[in-house]
Amino acid sequence: MMKSNVLRRFLPAALMASAVLVSKPALAVNYQKLVDADTKTFQAYFLKEFPEVKLSDYANGVYALDEDSRKQWQEMEEFPPYELDVEAGKTLFNKPFANGKSLASCFPNGGAVRGKYPYFDEKRSEVVTLEMAINECRVANGEKPYAWKKGDLAKVSAYIAFISRGQKVDVKVNSKAAYDAYMNGKKFFYAKRGMLNMSCSGCHMEYAGRQLRADIISPALGHTTHFPVFRSKWGEIGTLDRRYAGCNENIGAKPFPAQSEEYRDLEFFQTIMSNGLQYNGPASRK
Amino acid sequence: MKKVLSLLSLLALMPASSMLLADPAGDSAALIDQAEAARKQADALGYEWRDTASLIKDAKAALEKGQVEESNALASGALLQGRQAVAQAQFMEKNWEMMIPKN
Repeated sequence: MMKSNVLRRFLPAALMASAVLVSKPALAVNYQKLVDADTKTFQAYFLKEFPEVKLSDYANGVYALDEDSRKQWQEMEEFPPYELDVEAGKTLFNKPFANGKSLASCFPNGGAVRGKYPYFDEKRSEVVTLEMAINECRVANGEKPYAWKKGDLAKVSAYIAFISRGQKVDVKVNSKAAYDAYMNGKKFFYAKRGMLNMSCSGCHMEYAGRQLRADIISPALGHTTHFPVFRSKWGEIGTLDRRYAGCNENIGAKPFPAQSEEYRDLEFFQTIMSNGLQYNGPASRK
Repeated sequence: MKKVLSLLSLLALMPASSMLLADPAGDSAALIDQAEAARKQADALGYEWRDTASLIKDAKAALEKGQVEESNALASGALLQGRQAVAQAQFMEKNWEMMIPKN
């Protein structure tokens, strides 16, 4: 009886003390490791689906998958339709603002900064894209922002992409906030939406390489390496957000505004999935 | 037999009940309000469909012209879209990870 009373009194305290001794301090989550595992799985999906296509070739979008389209595209690239846009972008990039500064004042390395974007700004707690940075530079210098989807913004973006060709895609996720943005983008990519109940992944993973009327559906891997693009359908150069909005329209979903949090997070996710590829924009597409 | 009779009596009452409605235009306006509420809910969830807002706009325009049936048809379509978009959003919120393809 005496023994059981002692046990009853001291057992909980003893258990608590042992729990404190055994438990370790909580380990910091390695978000980059989580994301890297996703990227590996994502890229492996395509490498298994198209074993004849090299990983680096996915930077060429649909032309990595279809030989005939690739030949036509390569011929087109001999006199690329975006050439004049790159030239115009260069002029705009160096054109002085009213205060004497220019876009060149905002971007280091002569503007060859494509590889830096998108990134997660920890202080602002949001994804910053190249197009966003261009317009923020203008506004900070007392200029009006460019329109988001086409025109001068796409031209400046094309110039920056052009002089950054060959830079490696290497987007980092170093915090809980950055991981949350990544997960928002990931959810957007896989969730079905719109009247057709379709997702980005439905078309650009499950149906990649298959025929959609006269076109072949591009693989999601490498999607963000080559923007902005000169699309024959548009007859001009346009930004990634313009393409996102068009895709959403096509599946019967209301598009989000250009550079909305949804599209920036989606770009963040998609670019991380292309980590290891090279930036090769601007590009021409059907 | 009872079921058939009760259904027939219900069908017989339907025209009468619609005649009893005091203000068909008012009902159409209420239908538009319901559609707009569903659209807003879908929008707040980030899943609004492309054509819902334009259907509501057209329903309002038809009602202003006195085209009640046309307005009701458009508003009903918008309401259906709004509700389906909300259901889609709620389903995807819980199940989006199941949509990740595997090969």
